[in-house]
Amino acid sequence: MRSTVAFVLLAIVLCGPRSLIAHHSIAGEFDPSKPVTLKGQVTKIEWTNPHARIYVDVAQPNGSVVNWNIELAAVSALARNGWTRSALKVGDTVTVDGIHARSGAPIANARSVVLPDGRKVFSGAADQ
Amino acid sequence: MRTFFLLSAVLAATTLVLPAQAPGQNPSSISTQRRAGPPVGPVPRLPDGTVDLSGVWVGGGPINDIEREGGLPPGELDRLLLPSAKAIMAGRDVTQEPHNRCLPMGVPRTTPFPFRMVQTPTHKAATHIFILQEGNIHSYRQVFMDGRKHPPDPDPTWYGHSIGWWEKDTLVIDTVGYNDKFWFDRRGTPHTEQLHTIERWTRLDLGRMENKVTIDDPGAFSKPFTVTFMATLSPPGDELMEYICQENNQYGVHTIPGFNPLTGETKK
Repeated sequence: MRSTVAFVLLAIVLCGPRSLIAHHSIAGEFDPSKPVTLKGQVTKIEWTNPHARIYVDVAQPNGSVVNWNIELAAVSALARNGWTRSALKVGDTVTVDGIHARSGAPIANARSVVLPDGRKVFSGAADQ
Repeated sequence: MRTFFLLSAVLAATTLVLPAQAPGQNPSSISTQRRAGPPVGPVPRLPDGTVDLSGVWVGGGPINDIEREGGLPPGELDRLLLPSAKAIMAGRDVTQEPHNRCLPMGVPRTTPFPFRMVQTPTHKAATHIFILQEGNIHSYRQVFMDGRKHPPDPDPTWYGHSIGWWEKDTLVIDTVGYNDKFWFDRRGTPHTEQLHTIERWTRLDLGRMENKVTIDDPGAFSKPFTVTFMATLSPPGDELMEYICQENNQYGVHTIPGFNPLTGETKK
């Protein structure tokens, strides 16, 4: 058992964080080989299942704004790790690292959501 | 790419029973398991000596791959699948599985979210056991414990007609009357309306419960086979939470039909 734990932990480190378990297969919809980094203001928070979502206005180089749909874990998973819907507010500026939808639409599956002061939200347990 | 998915499947299976994560886990994949492992202790019993199945449990069934997660050697199901069933499986678009549309997952599939076994005792013994499932359709399975037999011609349903009884400390659940619409796993392993499942649930100790499932479907497989899964008890204080899959299900809106993440190919 100990070697299995070590193997899995090593594998998690080597693979990088991935959404291994979801109500659907993440890799069916999102492309792990297409990372995106998005910075902008939160315009909407959907505290819902099967995925909580935040929507972020991201400024483009040409001055236009694209509203991105960012997929998070299920509400029950977030809640069991101590997160509540008040962790983020509409208007907060966030930097999101994620992977892009295969269709090319402005949708990403989030790997991290970071506030300007460096705090990570919705990642691990809330008391970290 | 294939290695990634193989690894993912293994991790998906084992992560369910492991203590939780390194710090900085990404926010789209937080597990429902928390830091402590399952509690240790003897099997709890009801006043009449029956095993008490109470608790909030996680696991106990396949998610991604019934063959791998059920402990079968690789390729075993391919050897057992009848040609007609193989054809059905090959024709399935894994991005369009019913589970993604919030349709029932059937038996013995599970989700990363917990379930409760609820025994309903009368002054004699439990007449029903309900399995309350947080994930998927957030509903229940009903197991009749009063000694009745299956009806002779049940209407096919997603969860079938379940009767249960105790064999010493093992709860046996015998189910027929399934429809053929749910998928055993994300791979699309199929079955027919001839499916007959026999689950043997044994609480090994306070924190672990084994589910040994015999799949007997002469319409899809050349012989019955048995797959084994483990459920672990959630930390104390955990309760089922509401999970309404349909409230904001955006899956499938932007997927590419026919895309198979296991091969990277898109079927036309």
